[in-house]
Order: sequence, then C-alpha cells, then structure tokens
Amino acid sequence: MNDTLIDHLFRHHSGKMVSILTRVFGLSHLETIEDAVQDTFIKASLSWRTTLPDNPEGWLIKAAKNRVIDIFRKLKNEEKKILNFDKGISSIAINELFLDTEIEDAQLRMIFTACHPKLDSKDRISFALKTVSGFSIKEIASALLTKENTIKKRLSRAKKAIITANLKFQIPLGKELPKRLDSVLEVLYLIFNEGFHSNKKEILIRKELCGEAMRLCKFILKNKHTQHPNTYALFALMCFHSARLQSKITTENELLDLKNQDRSTWYLPLISLGNTMMTKAVEQNEFSTYHYEAAIAAEHLKATTFKLTNWDKILYYYDCLYAIQPMPIYLLTIAVIAIQNKDYTTAKLYFDKLNPEDLSQRSYLYYGAKSDYYKGTHQLQKAILNIDLAIKTVINQLEKKYLIRKKEVLENH
Amino acid sequence: MKEFMMIFVGADYADLGLSPEELQNRMGKWFAWGNKMGEAGYLKGGNALNPNMRRIVGKERTITDLTSAEVKEIVGGYYVVEAKDFDAVQEIAQDYPDYDLGGTVEIREVMVFDS
Repeated sequence: MNDTLIDHLFRHHSGKMVSILTRVFGLSHLETIEDAVQDTFIKASLSWRTTLPDNPEGWLIKAAKNRVIDIFRKLKNEEKKILNFDKGISSIAINELFLDTEIEDAQLRMIFTACHPKLDSKDRISFALKTVSGFSIKEIASALLTKENTIKKRLSRAKKAIITANLKFQIPLGKELPKRLDSVLEVLYLIFNEGFHSNKKEILIRKELCGEAMRLCKFILKNKHTQHPNTYALFALMCFHSARLQSKITTENELLDLKNQDRSTWYLPLISLGNTMMTKAVEQNEFSTYHYEAAIAAEHLKATTFKLTNWDKILYYYDCLYAIQPMPIYLLTIAVIAIQNKDYTTAKLYFDKLNPEDLSQRSYLYYGAKSDYYKGTHQLQKAILNIDLAIKTVINQLEKKYLIRKKEVLENH
Repeated sequence: MKEFMMIFVGADYADLGLSPEELQNRMGKWFAWGNKMGEAGYLKGGNALNPNMRRIVGKERTITDLTSAEVKEIVGGYYVVEAKDFDAVQEIAQDYPDYDLGGTVEIREVMVFDS
C-alpha cells in the first residue's frame, strides 16, 4: 500500500458524498448531510493516522453508505417525513446509488443546483465551492478574499433560495438545458477568473481555484448532454490561461503582464490540450464569448515573443467579443492594442467611446492607457496628468509601484 | 529504556470545523510522524479517542454524558513510546502536528513495579 493519498482525495470525496446523500434525502436535508459527511472525514483522519486502509476510496464510499442509514435513523427520530423511504431503505437500492455512473449523475445534479439562476450570482460561487467542491467556509473566504461571515451569509441565503424556489435535484433536459448550462459555465468561468486574476500573492490558492474550475469543466464534458461547444471553448480557455499561470506576474493588466512574462516557462502540455479542446469547440459555427476569449489567449500563446503577436487577429476577436457582450473593458483593450501598434487614430476612436467611470474600480487602467496615448502623440503634460490620475485611483500596491515608476520615466523624458 | 505515554490534549478536530482538505493534510502529518517513530523503533502503541464521553463522578456515582464542546481540555489520543528519558520523548514530541491548533502534549512516564 502506498503511504500517501491522492491529492485532494477528501475534498473531492466530500463533494461526491454530499451529492449522493442529497440525491437520497433531498435538498431540504442538506445541513444534516453536510454534518454527516464532515463527521466521516474526521473519523477517517483519526483512524488513518497510523494505518491507511488498502482502498481509501472504497472505505469512504462504505462510510457514505453507512451515513445513509445513520441519517435515515436520525430523521426518523426527529419524526420528519421522508418521502419514499417510509418503509425502510433497501440495501440493493443504496448500492445502486453508489455505482460510479450514479455518483457522477448525482454530482452533475449538484452542479446544476448550485448554479441555478434562482440563486444570487455571488451565492452560486460560494455554494458551488462548498457543496460541489468540498471547500470549507474558511477556504472559500480566503480564496475569494472575502470575510468568513459574508460567505456564511451567502451559503445560508443560497440554501433558503433552494427551499423557497422548491428546486428539484435534477439535471435539466430539453429546452431548459441550454439556459441552465450557460449558468453553470458562467459560474465555472468566474471561479476560474477568481483564481487567475486574483491579486493574492499566494500562488497555491489561485492554482486551487483554477484547478477546481477545470476539474468541474472536465466533469461536465464527460456527460453527453452537457458536452456543448461552449463547454469545450471554456475548457480550452482555461487550459490556455493555466499554461501561463505559473509565470503570471500579479497584475490586473493582462497586456502588461504578457509583455513581461518569461515565455519559456509556459506549460506546453496544457497548450496542446487547449488546442484539442478548441478543435472540438469550433465543430459547429456558433461562437460564444468563451470561443473568442480562448482564441485571443491562443494568439498570445502562439507568439514566440511579445513583438511577434498578431495584433490584427486579436483586434478582430475583440471586436467579435464586443459585439456579443458590449463591455467597456474590451474597448479599452482595443485602444491599448492600437497604441501598442502605434495606431493612434484607432486608439483615439476607442478612447472616445469610453468613460473612465464605466470601468469603476479599474478606471486606473483607462488613465494609464491614456497616458501612454499622450506619450505616443508627444503630449507630455497630458501624459503626466493622466498617470497621476491612474496612481490616484489604483488600489493594488504592486501596480501602484509600477505606475509610479512609469511616471518617473515620463518626467525624465 | 523506559516507557512513556504522550497524551494529546485539546485540538479536537470536530470542534475546530476543519475542512476535508485540512483533515487530509493533518492526517498526512500524523501518518508521517507515526512512520518516523515506528522506523526509529520508539512506538509501542496508541489510540485516537472518540470525543463523546461518559463521566462518572462522586460517591453517588453521578453519570453525565458529555461532548467535546462541553469539556475544556479533552484528551484526543495517546501514544506509548520507548525512550531513554523525558528529554528524548520531548524531542520525539516536537513533531506532534497540532500545536498550531492549540493542542498540548503531556508526557508521563509509565510506572514500573519491581517484582
């Protein structure tokens, strides 16, 4: 027997167990279920201290089965009505629920429940990380840079919404599915971005969030109903971004980051996996924002140096992106790329479409880019004025330092 | 060589709300520690204890059922090790994984009666 366990075995099993038990007892008993699952892991952690079982996963599955009986007894004692289980649980029925395919089915149900549009969009992320991914409140708070109390509130709000809306623990089918899948992909995208764009220095937490989003995305790709081109595109995007996660320099400014990254540290296997996924994603001629974002990421990866980046292609993708989802940040990015190409007329065109307020807390990016624009068009005073505004509005200390250095260069010009 | 008992007090996992991930990591550390002691030939035995407790006290033999939350310093487990003296056991106890959770190790020598 190996002395070590699979990484994250407990965390991943927690999501499995919560899902199976929810399938048996229903979403209204989620709290009891979570307690029971937690209890199993405490027991495992104590009894495995000295000797690991020969088959740790089998041990955990067996423990989950025993929990079914425990919970059943507990609920019966509390005289709560349990539909379908009044006459006792047949052990054959339980065993069937623990087949691999059924476990996966239950997990998929949980993913769809956690990402249900009836839940508040912020609550979805926390709830998914808790029930699907087995993160604790503390871990979620730390990963999302939020207070534990806020996460607690989000979780209880999500549980309430599930009960109030009387959500069914199901995988949506037919007309319902595309809309619901969109919502799932959005949550995974956000979880991934929390990790990828986080300003948190600890690479470990960021990697865990990205890894978890990828694991769930891969999971969704396993089911033939949810194997949508958009899912492939999202997975491709995650692969491309992850390929350079290790070399990322903590900054929100993507282009700047790309310019300064050591391209030799990019992880090739993920790039090639991303390419495979992308091929599947474009089999039909309908493209989502994930498709274009992935295409942009792929273009950056293709360039062996920052200088060799194919900006025309990237600009085209940004235009497509803006057409589907008109977000001000895309306009700014286009302007920044135009400056990069010394195409100041195009840059001005896009700046004119933008207000710094549209970018709210990221308005410093606007001022920073505007400063570059004025520098390029030899209007030094205005360039300094704008870099001052950028320094004034930036929050992240690393980026502030960078902007101050930039100002010094301008002043010595 | 003498026998000593290391008694682990406090740091009850059920009370601390540890995540599955943390529990796995903790377990890994205990496992590594156990292995290290085993290989060095120190370890003679030991157990982890369930947090539920039944307490019997006084002439009346009053019985109370308690959970870890109701007991301030609950004993979570023990190991019996063979070592030269307290100093040697103290050295072994450096690797106890749960100091950061507020856990304590109490070292006691097992009494030997001359026959």
